[in-house]
Amino acid sequence: MSALVISVLALIAGTLACLLPGNRVAAMIGVLTQFVATSLVLAVALPVVLGAPPLAADLNWAYPVGTLRVRLDALGAFFLVWSLPMTLLGSIYAVGYLRPFFDTPRMLGLHYALLNLTSLSFVLIYTADHALVFLLGWEIAALAAWLLVIWDYTNQKVRFAGFNYLVSTHIGLIFLVAATMILYTHTASWDLDRFGQWMRANGGSERNLVFLLLVASFGIKSAFFPFHSWLPRAHAAAPAHVSALMSGVIHKAGLYALVRFVFLIGQPDEWMGWFLIGFSALSAVIGALYTVGQRDLKRMLGYSSTENVGIAGIGFGIGCLGLTWGNEALVALGFAGGLLHVLNHAFFKCQLFYAAGAVYQATHSVNMERLGGLSRLMPWTALCFLLGGVAISALPPLNGFTSEFVIYSGLFTGEPIDYLPKAALAAGGAVLAFVGAVSALSITRAFGIVFLGTPRDSSVHAPTEVSRWMLVPMGVHALGVVLLGVAPALGFMLVRGPTEIALSSLPASGTDVLQPIADTLTKIGMISGSLALLIGVLIALRVMVARQPAARHRTWGCGYSAANARMQYTGSSFSSDFSARFRSVMVTVRRRKAPAGYFPSDSYLITNCVDAVERRLFSVIKRGDASATELSGKLREDDPRVAFAAALIAVTLVAGLIVLTGGPLA
Amino acid sequence: MSTVTLLIHVVMMLTMPVLMVGWVNRTKSLWAGRRGPGLLQSGWDLLRLLHKQPVFSVVISPLFRAGAWVVLAASLLAALIAPMLGSAAPLQFSHDFIVFAYTLGLARLFLMLSALDVGSSFEGMGAAREAAFSTFIEPALFLLIGTACLATGQTSFASLIGHWHQAPDFPWLVAPAVAVLFVLLQAEAARVPVDDPLTHLELTMVHEVMILDHSGPELAAMQFAGAMKMTIYAGLIAALLNPFDVSTQPFAGVVASLLIMAGVAVAVGCVESLTARLRMPYVPYYLMGASVLAALCLGATTLLVVRT
Repeated sequence: MSALVISVLALIAGTLACLLPGNRVAAMIGVLTQFVATSLVLAVALPVVLGAPPLAADLNWAYPVGTLRVRLDALGAFFLVWSLPMTLLGSIYAVGYLRPFFDTPRMLGLHYALLNLTSLSFVLIYTADHALVFLLGWEIAALAAWLLVIWDYTNQKVRFAGFNYLVSTHIGLIFLVAATMILYTHTASWDLDRFGQWMRANGGSERNLVFLLLVASFGIKSAFFPFHSWLPRAHAAAPAHVSALMSGVIHKAGLYALVRFVFLIGQPDEWMGWFLIGFSALSAVIGALYTVGQRDLKRMLGYSSTENVGIAGIGFGIGCLGLTWGNEALVALGFAGGLLHVLNHAFFKCQLFYAAGAVYQATHSVNMERLGGLSRLMPWTALCFLLGGVAISALPPLNGFTSEFVIYSGLFTGEPIDYLPKAALAAGGAVLAFVGAVSALSITRAFGIVFLGTPRDSSVHAPTEVSRWMLVPMGVHALGVVLLGVAPALGFMLVRGPTEIALSSLPASGTDVLQPIADTLTKIGMISGSLALLIGVLIALRVMVARQPAARHRTWGCGYSAANARMQYTGSSFSSDFSARFRSVMVTVRRRKAPAGYFPSDSYLITNCVDAVERRLFSVIKRGDASATELSGKLREDDPRVAFAAALIAVTLVAGLIVLTGGPLA
Repeated sequence: MSTVTLLIHVVMMLTMPVLMVGWVNRTKSLWAGRRGPGLLQSGWDLLRLLHKQPVFSVVISPLFRAGAWVVLAASLLAALIAPMLGSAAPLQFSHDFIVFAYTLGLARLFLMLSALDVGSSFEGMGAAREAAFSTFIEPALFLLIGTACLATGQTSFASLIGHWHQAPDFPWLVAPAVAVLFVLLQAEAARVPVDDPLTHLELTMVHEVMILDHSGPELAAMQFAGAMKMTIYAGLIAALLNPFDVSTQPFAGVVASLLIMAGVAVAVGCVESLTARLRMPYVPYYLMGASVLAALCLGATTLLVVRT
């Protein structure tokens, strides 16, 4: 426990020391303090997550707070063991990313101080057993992230994105404070344990209200749909390592808090589980759909965070249902799958953002329509993006697949549960399959347009590979992505402890439900490994039997010989087939001026896939909610399609009622 | 799975792609009033391609060279999981169907990336279509599996498909299930009415346009993988309809499986001879129709199971 206190003190001291003059000194101090804090925290947290008993201590504090209870159990330790190392990697990446500013008057010390504060907030959030300390950590994380986002503060768009984030995260804080106040009035205590005791003993409307408030608050923090509108702006505006840390690490605090409170509730009501699954599935679908419409690489990755927290949330929902039904296997599959996905997402999402940052540094653009053919100029960045992309599409043999496999196992369960829930879960599995296919589409689009083909715009700065300071963090993440893919048992070792906490709230049945998951994951790892091996063998065979190097020729232009780089498929054209089917969800704003007259002068077409929620939010603020009136205005009474649809609904209803009264309801 | 059936499965998955293409082409030739090429012609074509020196585009990256082999390896792995002989497969464990679907997903991803690597607008178009179509058809497989899961209570692909015919509601669902698998076959193996392998206009192709710049051994790998996908889905239909259990009656089981697969190939050929490819805007509706049908299967099973 003293190591934790020392790490907090080291981070505070480092934060202050970073403000010393001299950019190089500040960067060095920042990375060094992060390193010290990470080693100290790992020394404490790793044993806990691998099965040692939880640590607890009471720290005496001055008047308004009194005693601070600090408690590090497997769940907190699980989040700590990767949050701090990844923040360290982010700080190392920042050295490369911000290098152009090292010799300018711009003070980098503040930036490193804020990165240190971010690490500090993790230690506070993940070890606090005291609601006020928890809120303090929550607030430090929010403010630090806000200041990190507005690095390029001279740009008005960046400032807007920053304030947007700041307002959103504080709306989330209001919900959290409201929930805490309700709990405090009943327990007269700030201890999370006491909150848990009350929630376990008192089911009913007040607990439901607390649950909804908490889901809203954590939903805003982790950017679930429809609370996500701040996220694409913030991720596009922030420096790459900040986007990576926000998306991969900082906002996981919302999911941590969600799981923590579910554990405190012990046995949630059944609706809570279904609500979580539905809410998360909606986030996953909408997030995935929006990734398809984006042309800004970082905006696209931002939306995919909404998708991935949704996938993890589906896992937690399954776990909740398991807790309600007292089904140990479902609890294990749900929480282990969800937490594993959180870990995997942190690995591949940071990697993708780092690669996008490398692209930005080399080309000064993240607009995929202007890029192309980068893989030949930046091979390592391309490889890292590809690995991250395969992982984020949940494809074997990389790590994204392993966690989705566990979540799917929960959805297509062989457990003896009721038939209706079973069918509903299977339908959830189909939704997840759709999400997987859509994310494969958007990652193919992003990688294919940016890294493959030929450069589309000659005005883009000719790129070279980025510095080692940026490549090393990417490489470490890539290693993690591969390792967790072929040896998923390693990842499972980390989530085992937290899942056991969930299982402990059920009466012990004596059967070990975790070992079968570990065994299956080992099998998955072996299959993934053999797949990688098979690919390697085939390529090696091909290289060995090649008698002469392949001939080279221009790409086949289907008879047209004057093809140029501007004729390649673009990001917008790649997604047009798909987006055409989802116009109602993905709002595309078009501004066009068609060529007119015999000698047309200028003409243009500008399309922009805007966020429907944000657009709606502002329009409601401006004009009030007139959507129902507008919709009914659009329906024409003499339109035969309306009459047909109405008749169809009526016929289906009547037929359904007849069938139901004659059959199951009789 | 015994050693003998395992061997039969492996031999089948390596030879049937050639035969399936042969049967489809023979059927189409007969409809057109020709004798048509030999049944093994696509096999000879593959051998010929393997000996050819490939021509690569000048703009490719190393990904293009690796792409075809990733596609082939992934298809081979998927074929090892797919239960072509009924209730058993070489690789069989709980929830293996997820590995099956996502391995095919990996193959698709590398197929599309290889297409985008040559920087051609036509190949980009093919990749975009493939990506969009796959999102509409992907839920169908999972809904079908969910239905089987509900009806049988099993969790591995082979036992789901192989034991489904013991469920009481199977006679009601066999026709829609086969229809869904047949549409999946048409979509994944690029057959009419989703895609036309024989079209000679790049603007109307899906799968063929993505491999325009492949040649030599790489083209052979891509074509074999495509035929393998057709074999896999035909094998799934065979496993669903196979009345014999291959573990107790190996001979009858294998023969029935081969006959049903041949029947599927003939059906594919008949569809291709008698109908034209759908217009591109209507293909998504055709594929979504399969997903809706699969969802109806799930709903119907739930209703039937709840009532009993």
